[in-house]
Amino acid sequence: MEDDMADIDTENKLVDNEYKYGFVSDVEVDEAPKGLNEDIIRFISEKKGEPEWMLEWRMKAYQWWLTKDEPRWALLDYPEIDYQDIRYYSAPKQMSERFKGEDGELDPEVKRAFEKLGIPVEEQERLQGVAVDAVFDSVSVATTHREVLEEHGIIFCSISEAMREHPDLVRKYLGSVVPYTDNFFASLNSAVFTDGSFAYIPPGVRCPVELSTYFRINAMDTGQFERTLIVADKGSYVSYLEGCTAPMRDTNQLHAAVVELIALDDAQIKYATIQNWYAGNAEGVGGIYNFVTKRGHCRGRNAKISWTQVEAGAAITWKYPSCILQGDGSTGEFYSVAITNNRMQADTGTKMIHIGNNTKSTIVSKGISADQSKNTYRGMVQIMPTAENCRNYSICDSMLVGSECSANTVPYIEAENSSAIVEHEATTSRINEDQLFYIRSRGIDEESAINLVVNGFCKEVFKQLPMEFAVEATKLLEMKLEGSIG
Amino acid sequence: MSTIDLAPERAVDTVVGPFDEEAFNACGKGEPSLLRAKREQGFHVYKNLPAPTSFDEEWRRTNPRLFPFADFRAGGALPRIEPDDPGEHDEDFDVVVNVGNDGYSINDRTGAIRGGQVMVLPLAEASESCADLIEPYLNGQALPSDWDKFVALNDAFWNFGLFIYVPPGVELEKGIHLKYSMSGDGNALVPQVLIVLGEQSQASILESMSSPDDASCLSIATKEIYLQPAARLTFVTNQEWGRGACQIANDMAMVDSDAQIDWITLNFGTGVSKLKLGCDVCGSGACAELDGLFFCNEKQHIDQKTLQIHSAPHTYSRLLYKGAVQDEGHSVYQGVIQARPGAVKVDAYQTNNNLVLSNGAKADTIPGLLIDADDLKCSHGATIGNLDPDQVFYMRSRGLAEVDARRLLMRGFYDEVADRIPYAWVRDQVHRHVDARLGV
Repeated sequence: MEDDMADIDTENKLVDNEYKYGFVSDVEVDEAPKGLNEDIIRFISEKKGEPEWMLEWRMKAYQWWLTKDEPRWALLDYPEIDYQDIRYYSAPKQMSERFKGEDGELDPEVKRAFEKLGIPVEEQERLQGVAVDAVFDSVSVATTHREVLEEHGIIFCSISEAMREHPDLVRKYLGSVVPYTDNFFASLNSAVFTDGSFAYIPPGVRCPVELSTYFRINAMDTGQFERTLIVADKGSYVSYLEGCTAPMRDTNQLHAAVVELIALDDAQIKYATIQNWYAGNAEGVGGIYNFVTKRGHCRGRNAKISWTQVEAGAAITWKYPSCILQGDGSTGEFYSVAITNNRMQADTGTKMIHIGNNTKSTIVSKGISADQSKNTYRGMVQIMPTAENCRNYSICDSMLVGSECSANTVPYIEAENSSAIVEHEATTSRINEDQLFYIRSRGIDEESAINLVVNGFCKEVFKQLPMEFAVEATKLLEMKLEGSIG
Repeated sequence: MSTIDLAPERAVDTVVGPFDEEAFNACGKGEPSLLRAKREQGFHVYKNLPAPTSFDEEWRRTNPRLFPFADFRAGGALPRIEPDDPGEHDEDFDVVVNVGNDGYSINDRTGAIRGGQVMVLPLAEASESCADLIEPYLNGQALPSDWDKFVALNDAFWNFGLFIYVPPGVELEKGIHLKYSMSGDGNALVPQVLIVLGEQSQASILESMSSPDDASCLSIATKEIYLQPAARLTFVTNQEWGRGACQIANDMAMVDSDAQIDWITLNFGTGVSKLKLGCDVCGSGACAELDGLFFCNEKQHIDQKTLQIHSAPHTYSRLLYKGAVQDEGHSVYQGVIQARPGAVKVDAYQTNNNLVLSNGAKADTIPGLLIDADDLKCSHGATIGNLDPDQVFYMRSRGLAEVDARRLLMRGFYDEVADRIPYAWVRDQVHRHVDARLGV
């Protein structure tokens, strides 16, 4: 018996090595009972102190959601999700009291959790040059750098707060890019979303710091349904970073987020994600189901939206950050590295919809699959009949590490205008033996050689990230590939 | 992709146009039991599969309603008739098979059939006179394992069946011309063609289809090709159905060790087409070279899907499909390279180039890679654009009229594939088609 225990202990240590964010914080929580019905939605809305129109909108979304089936077209294989077996609201107790008006202290456990993740949430310890909104399960627990932002007239807060403080802005833009009728998961999110970030950059302002949200799932059996809304007014610029982690558990947890970006005339939004949800163990037990709808709308002339993502976690990833290029001369970019190992499955890519004249888009997708994982790029480029002089360039490369993994590329390209130029290229191959040999002949061991080659493979994407994030992403990749090479 | 889910109302309809139980009972009376069993199995699958709707992924870009199935009769088996007077270009072939409204004829021009160099005979006859030879190929091994509604329909209702066999080691000098010319008598044409090349044999086959533009015709075809080790086949399909015709075709080839298929498909005809063409390179050293040309103008709609399936290690495939759309034409190209588990040392390439020549015309391209093995190289490239204005300008600055400049560029675009066609007169036809559509 004692031997058994010892075994489990060493095993846990090994797993810990692989996923260092897998701890659980013991926090007193305020939570909704399991299940989804109108009462739960009312409960969430009440907890958030939302205006009446918001509740109505949630209800409409819920009614629509009830009529829909889960989409199953992606190359993903997972068991039926029981939507009644999920808790739709869970918040650290001290926080939810804060929302009743009293200014509560931050639960020390929550604070410790974020410290462990390397995200200081107190103003005095804040990160240089990065304003952080920290979201713990269903609520935003802290937002840093407030005064600097206020100075420039930038609004950066949790979406619940925005709904109370800036209802006009939220009402104007929420759901205008991803309506609640968009898809199954987006409508589920619209009905039950709990928190997320809201940012508004006024006309002509270049946001002086990076905005960032850190999402943490902690509670058991809860789903995280966050909603992020970023509006860049005319001629403004903002760079936004998003990070995600969750504890290691044997059960699957659902994460269904919606992100909406709106760029008006000459505005630019850079959105970067490092997604490192818990991906389950080597046998594919546990892990986060990540069903995310992200979409940017270049609403004005010469607007630019750029997505950069490093998808390194989650058992299931279903995510297609897209750009609707409506304003003439607007630009959409998508840079992605998706790495899957063990039994992870990722079906990710982008959509570029060219509506305006002279719109441009670039897609760079790098997929790495190892072990028994499945990695799919799925994308769409569409040139509308009236969109003149549009240009798209896509490149999708997949690297295979190990003989049991699979890599798929499924791009959809549609052009209806004779002035369009669309180019797509994709390759799938094993890690280049000649490159490995060359590096090894310089006296570098195999594992480092592989890391070097993989890093070179992803370079085009990593160079889009802010430096600290690029370093983090490189480390993450090394960690994921450790032991996958045989 | 997030806007896809529109909760399709599943069609409960399983009958396509005239192809019902009654029509089935009238099919293939007195056939040998081998074929009868295949028909019955086909019908069983057919009646249990729902008719496709535009909600099915496969049919999303080509609405099945574009096919006026109900305007046609299932049509009885085509009778065999005596060969007519020789047609144009017949001298290029050993055997000419003419298929028309009244029946089909097999013309053994050079005596290759009599001399035992090749067998070209109706399926029914083959399954009696050489049952042992044909039986292994009657289970549809080359076809994808998930049943297609129209493959099943063809199996149940085919009204013209042909078996072509080249014995091991034989090099057929001139090859075979399989020529369909219909004039629209209201009967659907449902051909099933089975081609087998024995070990180390070599042959070339031309398949051509034509009908007057004002005749409404429907063709639902299946073709299976089996190449035994080290066999080599050049297959050219010259599809020139008239604008009133619509066709559905499922063509698959299985290419065994060290065998090679060169398969060129020319699609300039029909009002509406839905084609699936695939190769399974299933033996070490097998090679498939697939080329295609297409052009959709006016209201033409051509939907092509290609499969390059690698189920064995050390296999090679290359694909190049080029086409243009003009006016309200709509082309759909979907290509899949699939490497099955264990298919290492595979080299597969797929290119699809499209020209959109006028606003309102539409080109969809969906190249795809489905890779389940690691030590390989698979890639694809797809482009959509127009003729390069710099190149047009260059030629005009040399004194060429714009229309001639465009014609030359178009010819250059198409010749990359057309040059591989072994028949000079078919190459000329390609040029004529392109010139006519550019208004030269």
